[in-house]
Amino acid sequence: MSETELVHKLQEAEGLAIVGKRIQRLDALGKVLGLPLYTSDIAPKDALRLKVVRSTVPHALIKRIDTAPAKRIPGVSAVLTAEDIPGINEAYSLLPDRPLLASTKVRCQGEAIAVVAASDYQTAQDGADNVLVEYERLPAILSPVEALKPDSIRVHDSGNVAKYLKVRKGDVKEGFRQADLVIENTYETQFQDTAALEPEVGMAWLEKDGSVTCVGSMQTPFYVQAGVAKVMGLSPDKVRVIQATTGGAFGPKSDEMPIDTCALSALVAQKTGKSAILAYTRDESMIAHTKRHPFVITLKTGAKHDGRLTASEALLVSDTGAYASLGPLVIIRACFHATGPYAIPHVKTDAYCMYTNNTMAGSFRGFGSPQVHFAAECQMDELAKKLDMDPLDLRLKNILRPGTLTATSQLVDEACGLEECAKRAAEASNWRAKRQEFGRDRGSFRRGIGVALMYHGNSLGPEGSDYAAVHVLIKPDARVVVRTALTEYGTGATSGLAQIVAETLGLPISLFELGGADTVSCQETGPTVASRVIVIGGRAAQLAATKLKEKILTVGGELLRCDRSKLMIRDGLVGHSDDPRQSITYETVVEECYKKHVSLIETGFYSAPKCEFDPENSQGTTYQQYTYGAVVAEVEVDTELGVVKPLKITAAYDVGKAINPLSLEGQIEGGTIQALGYGLMEQLVHVDGVVANPTLGDYYIPTSLDIPEIQTIIIEYPGAVGPFGAKAMGEPPVDLPAAALANAVAHATESRVFSIPLTAEKVLFAMRQRQR
Amino acid sequence: MKIGALTTIADLEKQNDNSVWCRVLNNVAEKFGSPNIRSVATVGGNICAASSSEDLIPVFLTLDANVKTIRRNGTREQPLRNFIVSKRKTALSDGEILAEVSFLEPNARAACSFQKLGMRNILIIAVVSVAAFLETDATNSTIASARIALNRLRGKVPERAENVEKELVDQKLDKSNIDRAAEVLGDDLLLTSDFRASAKYRSEAVKVLLRRALVECQQATLKK
Amino acid sequence: MAKHLVKFNVNGKDHALVVESAERLLDVLRDRLDLKGVKEGCGTGDCGACTVIMDGQLVNSCLLLAVQARDKRIITIEGIGTREKLHPVQKAIMKHNAAQCGFCIPAMVLAGKNLLDHNSAPSRDDIKEAISGVLCRCTGYYKLIDAVQEAAREIREDKG
Repeated sequence: MSETELVHKLQEAEGLAIVGKRIQRLDALGKVLGLPLYTSDIAPKDALRLKVVRSTVPHALIKRIDTAPAKRIPGVSAVLTAEDIPGINEAYSLLPDRPLLASTKVRCQGEAIAVVAASDYQTAQDGADNVLVEYERLPAILSPVEALKPDSIRVHDSGNVAKYLKVRKGDVKEGFRQADLVIENTYETQFQDTAALEPEVGMAWLEKDGSVTCVGSMQTPFYVQAGVAKVMGLSPDKVRVIQATTGGAFGPKSDEMPIDTCALSALVAQKTGKSAILAYTRDESMIAHTKRHPFVITLKTGAKHDGRLTASEALLVSDTGAYASLGPLVIIRACFHATGPYAIPHVKTDAYCMYTNNTMAGSFRGFGSPQVHFAAECQMDELAKKLDMDPLDLRLKNILRPGTLTATSQLVDEACGLEECAKRAAEASNWRAKRQEFGRDRGSFRRGIGVALMYHGNSLGPEGSDYAAVHVLIKPDARVVVRTALTEYGTGATSGLAQIVAETLGLPISLFELGGADTVSCQETGPTVASRVIVIGGRAAQLAATKLKEKILTVGGELLRCDRSKLMIRDGLVGHSDDPRQSITYETVVEECYKKHVSLIETGFYSAPKCEFDPENSQGTTYQQYTYGAVVAEVEVDTELGVVKPLKITAAYDVGKAINPLSLEGQIEGGTIQALGYGLMEQLVHVDGVVANPTLGDYYIPTSLDIPEIQTIIIEYPGAVGPFGAKAMGEPPVDLPAAALANAVAHATESRVFSIPLTAEKVLFAMRQRQR
Repeated sequence: MKIGALTTIADLEKQNDNSVWCRVLNNVAEKFGSPNIRSVATVGGNICAASSSEDLIPVFLTLDANVKTIRRNGTREQPLRNFIVSKRKTALSDGEILAEVSFLEPNARAACSFQKLGMRNILIIAVVSVAAFLETDATNSTIASARIALNRLRGKVPERAENVEKELVDQKLDKSNIDRAAEVLGDDLLLTSDFRASAKYRSEAVKVLLRRALVECQQATLKK
Repeated sequence: MAKHLVKFNVNGKDHALVVESAERLLDVLRDRLDLKGVKEGCGTGDCGACTVIMDGQLVNSCLLLAVQARDKRIITIEGIGTREKLHPVQKAIMKHNAAQCGFCIPAMVLAGKNLLDHNSAPSRDDIKEAISGVLCRCTGYYKLIDAVQEAAREIREDKG
């Protein structure tokens, strides 16, 4: 058994003291006191304020940029364009398709063209307003489906397909032949904005040795380090990046924007010798940063009379906007999950990630899964209606269970709690009775109840190398610091890492502190995305803690003059497991370690097993473990106006192991409401390629008066990889609520809206159409 | 009744008396912006913003309100409906400020209603809104006077729906007359589409809101 | 631009500042009085992250000019609780893990405290209404509401 497996199994065997408990997170005090923690709060008082000149049109050649009028404004310290970039003018996540500053062409609204620096924001804005950009407008391609056509306008010379991939399992022609019923529908989803409360911000200054330090709101300091180094023409070790407390992220702060804010600040810092800070305004953020990909999904599904699914054929087309960002990975996850959590023998999925001249789409919590589950779960209900079956029964007939195969022919293991999730959610929501009762509503207010099920492949899977590094240090005062470049931005996951270390070391959580994410003091650890801090970071934390525990017990054994193998750490003591009189305080052992120069800093590094699958047909092991879930939504529809009022959400998740059930509830509740917004009221609208509603007054996210009753059910089928069997739970809570709400509305109105958000207008007209 | 221009929406929310005009203003205030905004938003500010997003304008139009303005050489008074000229434009001249809104206190046989539709429960710009004011005759069964205002009728500012009003006067306040009023409104509408909603939907929704406003007035009347 | 002398009280301390006509209260609080707990989330009065209590009412400081604060009493998060003695709302937020990214928390604390100053036994609906002007993207609001309810209980028990 390897070291990592041994650690894993040892933890499972014993009773747990801290993992699994509802513990207060470690980083709350500063937040409730309103201490200056965020980037703008800690900016140097004399830092130059930056404003970016951005494109106002979706597609154009840049004929001329005249910075002279801006430079003449008193108080403007610098006006920089692409010419001023000492290194390489590139800032992209995956595909090398995006410049930091546009110079010859703009491909979407909001592209950065120039940056102006001044001592205050108003002067910087005046400067930006006086940079003259002359455009020669080009026709724009604004529909991803149109962009597929061979004669379509090209966003990039390489063509409009940023990524294509497919799934082929079995033979769909045969599958449809076997079917008694075949239905086909097209579903559409919209651009969703993350609307994190803190807009993007980054700052930079030069150190005395010529290196650059950047501080900002971000998810992945090492991406920013690489991006800034490239732009500045420096080697990465000359760029230090520190994550400041980050006011919400959800994905985009791991994409291009933090590179932009820090690199533009670094450019100005180098040019002027002063520190510089670039803080986006809200509308700038909503136009420029990456959003959730809109998808057009055509699903054709075949089933037997008894409800068994025989075939699924899907065409997915996503709109990644002018630059690919993480689009090529979003489309992979979407492609692999497009069937929904069902065992279907014949599957054909074709998935295209398309360039258009809309603003960029990229990472956003869920990463393709909410979109495909909306389509797949609406489709199941449409099938159930035609088969005259209860929608839950239809699903239970087809769900993934241990021993079945996914769409990528991965064998589902014992850690599959999907059936239990479905049954418990149904029971808690009184599904069957309400299905009947609500179905009898007459009058203008009608209730509906709908269900949706999901599976969510954990961590990066096919997206790339999946590893993490966590450092644990015991200080001379015996307090323990958990430090990693895996970042905290609200999830509570880093406190979860501390809990895991506390459990492994047998120490009370009160001794623990979180260190900051800083490229000089943390090992490169991959991105903080894909809900992998606990699953992958937690394994690394366990390894670091195990190594430290070994040292403590060894030195303890020397002090107690007894066999180290009999010792354990518990309740602040290092003691003999059979004889409680043989013990000393943990603090004494730490003191001794320091006296003996025994180093009490350890790094745990964990790398997940590689996913082996055939990339041609996407068959094989695509993820190391899966999270499963079921959501039941209840609504009341005002059938005269089409207004949907959510009444209750019942959400059951197989989380593997809840490291901190209190924090987990927070993730489930927050994700549910973010997805409720996605399903009912949020849409970032482009009109002719220009964002029509880039404000929080015109883009509606749920307020405290929009939330329904919620009931969360946590189920644990320990996964193969995560510490204590934990599964990813940062993202899964956003996968289903929109789908469940759509099904509830369909139940209430006996008609179907094939897109989200379910605006009152769409709901009303779908009802009217059905009546004809 | 006189309401000063610097009266905040929070003041309107707190005003506690049983009169019909107070209750409808309470109602507008409760759905207005957010608590944070109500503390500082004012009656004067809402009126002078002169757009279809300003909830107080339709309500004051149905109260047949006048506005008093002050300038260096004196004051003047005019009907609110004349004061709102077009989108974001009022009759204020340079150096003139809005001081007060006033209206005749409705009698005991009056009923008011305000209905608003938005895309979530608070902090919304109305997709459509309807304000209604009805006065019944001494027998309490026939409509003696009717004033209906929409946030948008044919233009970009709130307007009175005079054809609907004519249709209602001297009629019984019953279901068939309410339905007919909504139909007449439908013929009068010239709404536009934007990213929030289409003209077609707005036209449907505003008829529903009108019906609901009239039914609410009807129920209030029946209670008297 | 014209300048004005404005006197006001912030967190119990009197200030007299010369401000410009167009200077926002938000910027005076953050940049001139160094009260970084007041956040800018949107600048258009839509998110409430800039909430302060002014003469007993919640206001969005991004929508107020500094001159409008003349003679007012303002409370920011810096005036609520200390490390040693947290306000019950602050304590309860920590207990329920109701602070996730934390950016809305100063505003939420102020909204909760202001409610409890006026209503010692608020219902969940009262709490939802009181915080409705502050947007939160992380929590879904549930645990913030739980926290204010618990703080209300604690305050009643301390008094009773």
